[in-house]
Amino acid sequence: MHRVSKIAAAGIATAALTLSLSACGASSTESGGKDKGLGLAFDVGGRDDHSFNEAAARGADKAEKDLGVKSKMMTAKNGETEADREQRLTSLAEAGFNPVVGVGFNYGKSVNKVAKQFPKTTFGVVDSPSQAKNVYGMVFAENEASYLAGVAAALKSKTHKVGFIGGVNNALIQKFQAGFEQGVKDTDAKAKVTSEYLYANDDKGFNDPAAAKGKAKGMLDAGIDVIYTAAGQSGNGSIETVAGKKGTWAIGVDSDQYLQPGLSQYKGSILTSVMKNVDVAVYDLVKSVHDKKPLTGTKSYTLKDDGVRLSTSGGFINDIQAKIDAAKKKIASGQVKVSDTPAK
Amino acid sequence: MKKLDKNKLILGIAAPVLAIVAALLITSVIILATGKDPLHAYAVMADFGSKSDSQVWIINKAVPYYLSALAVAIGFRMNLFNIGVDGQYRIAAFFAAVVGGALTLPGFLQIPLIILVAMLVGSVWAGIAGVLKTTRGVSEVITTIMLNAIAAAVIGYFLQDGRLAVKDGNLFHTPNLPASSHFFTIPTQPAPLDGFLVIAVVVGFAYWFVLNRTRFGFDLRTVGQSESAAEAGGVSVKRMIVTSMLLSGGAAGLIGMPTLLGTSYNYGTDFPIGIGFTGIAIALLGRNHPVGMAVAALLWGFLERTGTQLEFEDYQQEIVGVMQGVIVLCVVVAYELVRRYGLRLQQRQVGEELAAQARKTEKAEVSA
Amino acid sequence: MELRGITKRFPGVVANHDIDITIHRGTVHALVGENGAGKSTLMKILYGMQKPDEGTISIDGDQVSFHSPADAIARNIGMVHQHFMLADNLTVLENVVLGGEKLHGIGGKARAEIIKISDRYGLGVRPDVLVEDLGVADRQRVEILKVLYRGARTLILDEPTAVLVPQEVDALFDNLRELKAEGLTVIFISHKLGEVLSVADDITVIRRGTTVASVVPGETTPKQLAELMVGSELPSPQTRESTVTDVEMLKVDGLRLSTADAEGVERTVLDEVSLTIRKGEVLGIAGVEGNGQAELVEAIMGMRDPDGGTITLDGVDISHRPTRARREDGIGYIPEDRHRHGLLLEAPLWENRILGHVTEKPNAKGRLLDLKAARADTARIVAEYDVRTPGIEVTAASLSGGNQQKLIVGREMSHHPKLLIAAHPTRGVDVGAQAQIWDQIRAARREGLAVLLISADLDELIGLSDGLRVMYRGRLVADADPATITPEELGSAMTGAASGHLTHSDSDTAADSEPRPSQEGESE
Repeated sequence: MHRVSKIAAAGIATAALTLSLSACGASSTESGGKDKGLGLAFDVGGRDDHSFNEAAARGADKAEKDLGVKSKMMTAKNGETEADREQRLTSLAEAGFNPVVGVGFNYGKSVNKVAKQFPKTTFGVVDSPSQAKNVYGMVFAENEASYLAGVAAALKSKTHKVGFIGGVNNALIQKFQAGFEQGVKDTDAKAKVTSEYLYANDDKGFNDPAAAKGKAKGMLDAGIDVIYTAAGQSGNGSIETVAGKKGTWAIGVDSDQYLQPGLSQYKGSILTSVMKNVDVAVYDLVKSVHDKKPLTGTKSYTLKDDGVRLSTSGGFINDIQAKIDAAKKKIASGQVKVSDTPAK
Repeated sequence: MKKLDKNKLILGIAAPVLAIVAALLITSVIILATGKDPLHAYAVMADFGSKSDSQVWIINKAVPYYLSALAVAIGFRMNLFNIGVDGQYRIAAFFAAVVGGALTLPGFLQIPLIILVAMLVGSVWAGIAGVLKTTRGVSEVITTIMLNAIAAAVIGYFLQDGRLAVKDGNLFHTPNLPASSHFFTIPTQPAPLDGFLVIAVVVGFAYWFVLNRTRFGFDLRTVGQSESAAEAGGVSVKRMIVTSMLLSGGAAGLIGMPTLLGTSYNYGTDFPIGIGFTGIAIALLGRNHPVGMAVAALLWGFLERTGTQLEFEDYQQEIVGVMQGVIVLCVVVAYELVRRYGLRLQQRQVGEELAAQARKTEKAEVSA
Repeated sequence: MELRGITKRFPGVVANHDIDITIHRGTVHALVGENGAGKSTLMKILYGMQKPDEGTISIDGDQVSFHSPADAIARNIGMVHQHFMLADNLTVLENVVLGGEKLHGIGGKARAEIIKISDRYGLGVRPDVLVEDLGVADRQRVEILKVLYRGARTLILDEPTAVLVPQEVDALFDNLRELKAEGLTVIFISHKLGEVLSVADDITVIRRGTTVASVVPGETTPKQLAELMVGSELPSPQTRESTVTDVEMLKVDGLRLSTADAEGVERTVLDEVSLTIRKGEVLGIAGVEGNGQAELVEAIMGMRDPDGGTITLDGVDISHRPTRARREDGIGYIPEDRHRHGLLLEAPLWENRILGHVTEKPNAKGRLLDLKAARADTARIVAEYDVRTPGIEVTAASLSGGNQQKLIVGREMSHHPKLLIAAHPTRGVDVGAQAQIWDQIRAARREGLAVLLISADLDELIGLSDGLRVMYRGRLVADADPATITPEELGSAMTGAASGHLTHSDSDTAADSEPRPSQEGESE
């Protein structure tokens, strides 16, 4: 037992040493507050995901062009913890970036938490509500735009079979699913919607194009001829697969994917894209900080005020535009309520 | 004997030093290849990593890593490759969160109950792989990988509004734990240390004690070194496989607890994933040794903490990932080299000593 | 061929020094020595696998220097290894021409050459048989033919008799005499003195890495040779006294066991095996390896669960008890393959001392290990059983085979077993250790130990056992009295040629020149 007590003593001593170490020394978060521009913290996938992050990045680019506001962009890794996200936001705020924007609902908690430590900095979070007075929450009515995508899909499908692929089965993506399914059903009662998810609860679903390829292939083989994919960067895989089969359509998400240079070889198969105007929202926030009138609170970007919309590039939906506009009008007027959770 | 012990010590230090030097060299070359100054990167890391808030962050981050490494190491010492630690801790944390969120008991009952549920669920999940291996001969590598996927699917199914979760903005999470279940923290400046640090140290000590000081631990190590010798020595290898998988899963159950009881207070779609895989790297790095793994977990935390800072200095974000990979590779290679060298050295020394003894007796015979 | 002053050093050890040997053309030259005396190193030097640090090799007066086996083959030297290097799924012809395709092609010419060589030396090799269908002795002849096919005029045979039963040994020696008659030279490595004396023209004894004597068979006896090998006088012969009592210690009754092989085919490996060992009795099991001995041992140890029959130890039915309980009940086990079943090679000696006895004193106190007591007891075993090691912290792997075995014997004996299972207890062990291990088994037998002895060394079996059984294809087919039986007679039962109670027939005049453990005190 003698040895044991010696080891225990050593352990306690080590622990004590560690504690005392952490108690002294300078903290790294003691400066901050200068206006170095926009700090943008991306979710997994990075700025070049051709989709969600890229939309935010476009807002940043516009801010630089119009307002001369520089920006710093950082990207999340797969399998991150709250601590990692908090650190990323803290580092940006600490380095003097203002505003600091977390792109993606994963940043919901961390933005609101870190914001309290930096009262002089304005924070923004996409897809999450504001819970602190210096946080601007930007939420979007994805379900409404997805409803329109459903209308388009129902009208374009020859087999009366359409598919939905979600990256991760979470509340946000379920909004896309709910709107899409409702739009299809309201347009074509005979149509059958197949909705599948890449991952149950792993954020890898947003940057695993190979998994989306497999899912899309399966749907095409089952006779589905319009596939709407809401899965961030993974959507590229689905679009690529759909482009490989004649007479089938892909519906993109977040950015106008018809215009994406990275997807240009498949653009003939991209029927339309459900666009969340994240770029507009981010630009609004940067501009407000630039103008010294920072936005706060939660702002809902809806179909009614063009916060979300359906893209028309390529002109593939020109023939059905009238019906889409009619559906839009019904939603805007409140005549149609689009559910944000899928019917079970 | 003195000589052998001294060699043992030198060899013991040689391996990590060799590994770190090699890893630094390789990383430097990679940073140079990206057109940046490696020395400046190290300076930034050392400076930022030693800040007081960084220290707290690193220690808090290292706690679950360490627990994960312990869970993996229990398998490693048995020659079992429990890749399923990831699924085990997630499903364990999920059900612990469900139970914890449904009850409101005083903290001294509620916290142990939650931890117990987590360990139990982790054990059962890992035990499935153990039972399949012993009864059906299925490799635990395959089953644990599959069980990871199944765990994710099970969580995904229950983590929906109206099942076991509630909707909160764009997140689903289990009902929040009552305030009585919040784990204590160790007050330090500028941020508090996670109280689970204490549990991690206790579990680390228990790991050491059980493996090195008990009959059970001896049996376990015997199976790890030679299954055939263990069998002949009277160890029931099959029972040992199941038992060690249960233990490994139980330890895995603890991994999610610092997060559940210390920061999130619920299991949501944002619950950290992948710590089980990090644990494999840390167990390799720490050579399954309780202190080695602690150092490795802290090193991992340090790299993650300082990696973000490197991004501000316009280094590539991926540099830290590369460093982590290179370090693990270097350590594995260096330890194997040093181990082989040590074995040869020992054989030679034994040979020399015996030859010296033989010469002595021969002389004695001649003179007699 | 002449070797002068050959010295080879390995880091820390001198494997060979000042070796001087002269080998005459057309003779069988035997190299004898204990395990670890340096025979194998010397052979590797001769065959070009290793280079000597000092000294010269000359053939027919020309000094040569071999850098690889190819150089040796070019000088017409060939080697037949102890472990055969044949591809099972190829025919004899294919095996022989493999790697030597340029000599005679791979077709009719090669076949003709093989038949020619086979006939010339009476090897009786059939070129179109698959090697997997051949027995051990036939395979060995294929190996010899392979070497001859490549033009060898000097053959090195490394322990060729280790794998053969006595009848096969005689056949091999006839082949060797044929080779000699044709003017070929054979270098024959062995530590079986009787064989050496019967076949060799010259004998060179190696001890501790150097040549200590060159003798001619006519002028020496096995005892003198053995003393040259060991370097000292051997213990005086011991008179056999029976210590067998009436108390049954182990009773195996109608034991049956079948296993499924890789293809899933059920195979009976133990078929109605019954035997009884009394206190103070050593029961020897003879048999060619693979006839069920290993399975019998594993069934008694509890490592395999028998399909039928009972095993009774000291009156208690242990047929299905776990291995650990059997060990605690007093079964000691010296396994056949000590590296796989008896040791943790990379663990220190004191952990190896705990292996197999982790629940017993002095290794454990309750559920905890008692490291201090285990270490102290390891030191005691090392001293008492003469385990040559610089300490108890070194790994088991760094000990020589004999010392590893002494440690295992010491460990098993330290728990005062009622029954000792000794499977090949002196295999790969040097003469000194061998004698010690025999002494320990005898001493324990005197104190009432029951011993199940399994060995491929028939002299060991005959010398140590109080009773003998022969195992063939999973059955005990014959029994014999070790006091009268000869290895040759045992050998015919081992190949299935004889069964029932074997008696010594005086008409069989085969010279029994092998020393036996309890008579001469040692043999190998």
